[in-house]
Amino acid sequence: MNKAENVMNKLERGLISTYQFTFRYVIEKIIDFIRRKRYIVYNIAVYILLLEFAYVFLYPFLYLLITAMKSPTDLLDMTVRWIPREIYWENFKVAFAGLNYWTYFQKSLLVTLLCVLGHIISCSLVAYGFARCRFPGRNALFMIVMLTIIVPAQVIIVPLFMQYSTYGWLNTYLPLIVPTFFGMGLRGGLFIFLFRQFFIGLPTELEDSARIDGCSTFRIFWNIVLPISKTAILVCTVLGTVWHWNDYYEPAVYLTRPKNWLLPMNLTNMYATLRMIEGEEFGISEVDQLNQMYNTATLMAGTLLVILPLIIMYLFSQRRFMESIERTGLVG
Amino acid sequence: MKKSWWTMRRKQALEGYLFILPWIIGVSAFFLYPLFKSIRLSFSKITKFAGWEMEWVGFDNYIRAFVWDINFLPMFFETVQKTLLYLPLINIFALFLAILLNKKIKARGLFRMVYFMPVILGSGHVMTQLVGEGVVQGAIDVERGVAIPREILMYMGPTIVRTVQNFMNNLALILWKSGVQIVLYISGLQGISSSLYEAARCDGASEWEMFWKITLPMISPVILLSLIYTLIDLFADVSNPIVDYVRTTAFTNRQYEYGAAIGWIYFAFIFLIVMVVFMAGRRYVHDASAR
Repeated sequence: MNKAENVMNKLERGLISTYQFTFRYVIEKIIDFIRRKRYIVYNIAVYILLLEFAYVFLYPFLYLLITAMKSPTDLLDMTVRWIPREIYWENFKVAFAGLNYWTYFQKSLLVTLLCVLGHIISCSLVAYGFARCRFPGRNALFMIVMLTIIVPAQVIIVPLFMQYSTYGWLNTYLPLIVPTFFGMGLRGGLFIFLFRQFFIGLPTELEDSARIDGCSTFRIFWNIVLPISKTAILVCTVLGTVWHWNDYYEPAVYLTRPKNWLLPMNLTNMYATLRMIEGEEFGISEVDQLNQMYNTATLMAGTLLVILPLIIMYLFSQRRFMESIERTGLVG
Repeated sequence: MKKSWWTMRRKQALEGYLFILPWIIGVSAFFLYPLFKSIRLSFSKITKFAGWEMEWVGFDNYIRAFVWDINFLPMFFETVQKTLLYLPLINIFALFLAILLNKKIKARGLFRMVYFMPVILGSGHVMTQLVGEGVVQGAIDVERGVAIPREILMYMGPTIVRTVQNFMNNLALILWKSGVQIVLYISGLQGISSSLYEAARCDGASEWEMFWKITLPMISPVILLSLIYTLIDLFADVSNPIVDYVRTTAFTNRQYEYGAAIGWIYFAFIFLIVMVVFMAGRRYVHDASAR
């Protein structure tokens, strides 16, 4: 009321013209706004791009989560695409039982923890030697470290298999765990490389003063360098956990008996079994398709259960992890 | 006075060797010895499985791979083709996303978390299973619709459409494989001092010019590192047909010597490509210490 009176008053006194009420004026105003605040428009474009890519990145997780929660009715209903009517826990129960989850989870966890522990201890020690100590042949030996990164596991897996079979290590977890304590194993060279980059980036003053006070090199490493390299340790722990947990190739070669399998292998087995049952019982028919649909939900629930520990770990550590990985100076 | 043999330098060298001793043991037992044994194996034929006895047969296994095996060469070329196609695409996308993420935007941490997620999920067999279940196809369908509306596609010729669709098919896979590279590039970008950009801005440089003249040269060591990482990662990928072929030949079909030979052919090729990239990269990498 008051505002309208004010406008009328200004119109009568000629302070504003009727032109300001036309459509063209509004358009001009908007263009002017865009011109003045160009960076805002630019930012919106950036956000749209980022969101679109984020969608593609997140799609598998969303699909996994949603399909795993769908009940048979929701699976059949074409209108239910993203939001299931209810959370259907039966899928998870079936997958949990089918995977024999708890037993294999313990095995997988034990192997992963031991492997990561081995990598952290051995790789940091070796990397410190490469970064700080001077000895003849250092560069040549570091070239071999790089070579261990480049050589794919497929080249040496056959002789390794023979070697382990003569030791009687097949069907135990030793072929997976023991090499990690010697700086080898799954991407061991990469961890040595990461730690070395980090140690080279550290200032030497602290170590020099400790040495003047009579500290031995090993104590410098253990009491001074390791406590200040938490960021590098965190990065290696997260990456190591993910790689060891997801690893399929080496376990599939060394562990031949189902009793000793690890969780990801067991999942593959469940996939195969369910697909086989479909084929045997129904042949190609509509019933088959229905069955496949139900099974897909179970499989998705199983997949989710297998990667659940990783997701939990990632969600808890991601902030520190992302900060660390940027500050570790991997790139130095 | 006679100089002591036990000098500071010798002591330090000994300490160095002690530090890397675990690795020396590991690399000899689990890397160098198997490596030589695998060369030996690839030129031999196993006569007795019990004690792994073998006899020398020369180049038979290699000849078999190139001449007799009808599966190997097509698989090999497919792998090579895929890798060489993905290599530039992954890196360009990763750099692009890293530059976007390096801007002052809100929810930056959230976006970074999302972009690193596929590394957590996708680095193993789980991802392969998801691809098998057609999840990727769903993502691509959506992406295709968002990126290029169907109406525009309808007016283009079939060849163009096929190329575009092929590209889009690969797009989702490429995006999923670029998590580590994005992080690498972000940390590289943050290492560039902002004073360079400020100086350039004072001289009236545009964003575009600054990218080509400052960002790219400064980040070139990271690009080289990321290229090599991508190559190694792609070659060791589980979805690679060759990787699986070595396993089935050697362990399912029990042809250990042939598996070793294939592994060596594969590795020789990888080594060649990595060296070419490394040598070519060294020439173009901007060296900060050189000035």
